[in-house]
Amino acid sequence: MPPSIHPVDLVATLRQKNLTPAIIFLTSRRACDEAMQSFERSQVLLPKSRQEQIARVLTQVITQFPSISEHPLIDTVQRIGVAAHHAGHLPSWKIAVEELMRTGSLDAVFATTTLAAGVDFPARTVVVTQSSIRKARDFTDLTASEIQQLAGRAGRRGKDLVGFAVITPSPYIDLTVLTKGLTGQPEPIHSQFVISYPMVLNLLKAHPREQIQSILAKSFAQFQLNQRTAVLETKLDTLRAEMEPFGPRVCSDWITQWQIFDQARKRKKPRGPAARQESPDVAARLHFLTPGRAVGLARGRGIILRQYRSKGQHAPMVTLLREGGALNECPASIVTQVFDRTYECEETSTYPWITRDSLDQLTHHLKELPPRLPILPILTHPEEDAPLDSSIIHTLGDFPCPSCPSRQACQRDYVRASRIRQEIHRHTKSIQALQTSLWHRFQERIDVLERFGYLDATAKLTADGEWARLIRIDHSLLITELIRAEAFGAIDPSLLAAIMASIAHDDDRPGSFPRGSAGLVTLLFQVRKLAESLLPHEEPPMLRADVAALTERWVADQTLTWIGLARLTTMAEGDMFRLFARTIEFLSQLKTLKGTHPSLAESATQAIAAMRRGVLEELP
Amino acid sequence: MTTHELEQLLLQQPVSLLHRLARGRISRHFRSGKRKLVDLLLQASSENRPGLESDLTALIEEQPRRHPEAPEKSLPQPTKQRPMTPPTAHRPHKADDHGHHEPPVSLHEWLSGIGVPPPQPFVPDAWQVDALARLAETDVVVSVPTGSGKTYVAIEATARAMRENRTVIYTSPLKALSNTKFTEFSRLFGPEQVGILTGDRRENAQASLLIMTTEILRNLLYDAAGGEIDVRLDQLGLVIMDESQYLADPERGVVWEETLIFCPSQARLLLLSASIGNPQDIADWLTAIRPTPCSLIRHTKRSVPLRAGYLHPNEKLTPLFRTAGIPYGQPHLIHPEAKRLFAEYEDETGPSRSR
Repeated sequence: MPPSIHPVDLVATLRQKNLTPAIIFLTSRRACDEAMQSFERSQVLLPKSRQEQIARVLTQVITQFPSISEHPLIDTVQRIGVAAHHAGHLPSWKIAVEELMRTGSLDAVFATTTLAAGVDFPARTVVVTQSSIRKARDFTDLTASEIQQLAGRAGRRGKDLVGFAVITPSPYIDLTVLTKGLTGQPEPIHSQFVISYPMVLNLLKAHPREQIQSILAKSFAQFQLNQRTAVLETKLDTLRAEMEPFGPRVCSDWITQWQIFDQARKRKKPRGPAARQESPDVAARLHFLTPGRAVGLARGRGIILRQYRSKGQHAPMVTLLREGGALNECPASIVTQVFDRTYECEETSTYPWITRDSLDQLTHHLKELPPRLPILPILTHPEEDAPLDSSIIHTLGDFPCPSCPSRQACQRDYVRASRIRQEIHRHTKSIQALQTSLWHRFQERIDVLERFGYLDATAKLTADGEWARLIRIDHSLLITELIRAEAFGAIDPSLLAAIMASIAHDDDRPGSFPRGSAGLVTLLFQVRKLAESLLPHEEPPMLRADVAALTERWVADQTLTWIGLARLTTMAEGDMFRLFARTIEFLSQLKTLKGTHPSLAESATQAIAAMRRGVLEELP
Repeated sequence: MTTHELEQLLLQQPVSLLHRLARGRISRHFRSGKRKLVDLLLQASSENRPGLESDLTALIEEQPRRHPEAPEKSLPQPTKQRPMTPPTAHRPHKADDHGHHEPPVSLHEWLSGIGVPPPQPFVPDAWQVDALARLAETDVVVSVPTGSGKTYVAIEATARAMRENRTVIYTSPLKALSNTKFTEFSRLFGPEQVGILTGDRRENAQASLLIMTTEILRNLLYDAAGGEIDVRLDQLGLVIMDESQYLADPERGVVWEETLIFCPSQARLLLLSASIGNPQDIADWLTAIRPTPCSLIRHTKRSVPLRAGYLHPNEKLTPLFRTAGIPYGQPHLIHPEAKRLFAEYEDETGPSRSR
């Protein structure tokens, strides 16, 4: 059995059961394109009348958007009544497909799940072939909301009596995710409030700092935090009620009093087995088990990478590099011999506790270790208990507890009371944190903006802050810092557009691209350096040189046609379009700076004008 | 007992009993649906018929109280000892037993009813009327399934506001959607009435109906707060935010919050959202931060009923659930045929599943 149904068979089955028109959601753009290709070889043709209907609709769209008149897929679409619709296509082509679907001229559209929200046309049937979706770099299961969003496209009002959501399996599909999603409740939504630099500048422009907290309190984020606070408050009330019997006794703060007394008492005569002591020879060896030390084990040999105490039992532990390259965490007692040999290594604070280079070197050393090594003679002597701090014994006399009439009651209730008190303390702290967290985050941003000179010490906008607040896009700090560093002084529009494109583009889809000019390469290098220096305050953009070069070409060479540009790269037309549209968006933000930075604004205006031609001009 | 009698008797039993009976007789019986299981049991019975019959009687006696016999199948009682329990007496209280008593829907039934409804004059749904009525008094959050007709509410509300000479702003999260709406609204209200503002496009920016992306509205509001007065905002009568479930978008959700916080208080808000789990929270939040209260219009019933199916790679189509419609809240009511086919699929694609 094939891992999934062949697209041609799928459409044939849907046609035969009268389940068309259908939207078929596939995992990737490539899957959509391949599905289309498989139809090119198929012999199934539409009846003449249907072909003519498609042609009619297409002609109409083409008069509006001439750029698609030579679209390579037109022929296939007309012949077989099936199309693909995904983000790799030009918006005009997508509009054409949507129009065809709306008029009921197509039997099926292959679309990607990623853009389910952008698919604004219904069908009789929706076909789902997957239960997970690629988000960032990982696959995550579709949520009930997403599944219902997909299935919701099935059944056109006024055109269908019933809609169908058909699941057809492909590898990796999990049927339960889909059945649960179809029958379940959509998930509740949660606030994703983040405090950005432009937000801080714009709020402080209009409101004094004292009012900000009340504005933040109006956010949905705070509304949801308050819901959590309410839950904690009820818990707190129950705890307070439980605390009632443990109110003030002979001394008002008897819990603390007893706690100190108890500690001191325990110090005096340790009860039961105290922390488990390691055997004398392990204890004696411990001092020698430093990073880089070669040791003999019960089986084989190894090199110590780190020594530590286990969390629960505080047993002495070591991280070992073993022969064969394995990294083990084991009790220190595993070491039977300590060799008189250590190697240099550079320690780090995270696994594997030494640097990559050192690890490689140690692995090498371990391999080359001579068969016989001098063993360190280690003297063991039974350890004696450390002498008790005499001051504590002395102070015991100062405690009222031993002779207090409520001593019995205190002793009995202490564990419970102190536990409740701790809980109350913890909840109170959490409530405080929930109530002030937004303001704290805002304050952090204020501090950064103050350090960079966009705000003065009273959190008022400086001259730089006044114009910087107009840049309300991602990576605003990088852009405003670039402007202040005069990286764009009298810049060529093509370079400006190229840099903006590299800042705006956030897709890591690989491909081949034209090369940038020397000027662009140098400038981009400087931008990258600045972005890195801003790292603690703002996530750096991808700053891809290739998409920058593509944009540079488009702006610099006005004779270049869209088709010509598309030939220079493997980037999909839809991606190119989105890149340019987003770049124009970024450039129009620079245009708003004409009051303070006239030459930059002028350059941005020129760049926008140069970019808007061909497909970019005709499009809505 | 004839084979036919045995078959009928088996068919009356709950699946769990059949599975106990199948233990040791049929390998991998948990993969099969009831009908299939009965067939397999009958096949297996040729080896040791009396053994199967006595086991069956024993099992039936063991759980007389749990036996949920359907009333319409009043067949001759083969075992006299078994008390005939009244069918109404014990509808199993747990919902998950439910599906085993009614035969699963057949493909024919499932497919029946496909077609185009006869043309009818458009009558707005009750919720649409309700939403529009409430919008006269309060802000409104609408959370309804995809394809329920949110656009009708948007258009009608826009028309009403424009009749009162008030500006309307319509925001959508995607430029593509903004463009579609621009075309649609221009057709409806006339091109001179409609303008569009997106990050890279600006047309007819003084029109009384403005389509824009949410980011643009946020920027307008910031500019207004910063002192740049915008006439459009003074006359603003209605703000429609389409796809407001974007409030939860990790990157852009904050823009929706900013917009809603700073939205002028004299303007009515109409939030259109796909089905979400906590629309009441949104309505409560808006009530808390705005001078006008906010009503919630919510319904989960789709205007065109939805059915779910399973299509096997060998082109065999079956219903996905035992019921024709989608059994909300009961994901386990999977059609035995779909279950069997999918199990087969998993078996064959085998290790590739263990991702």
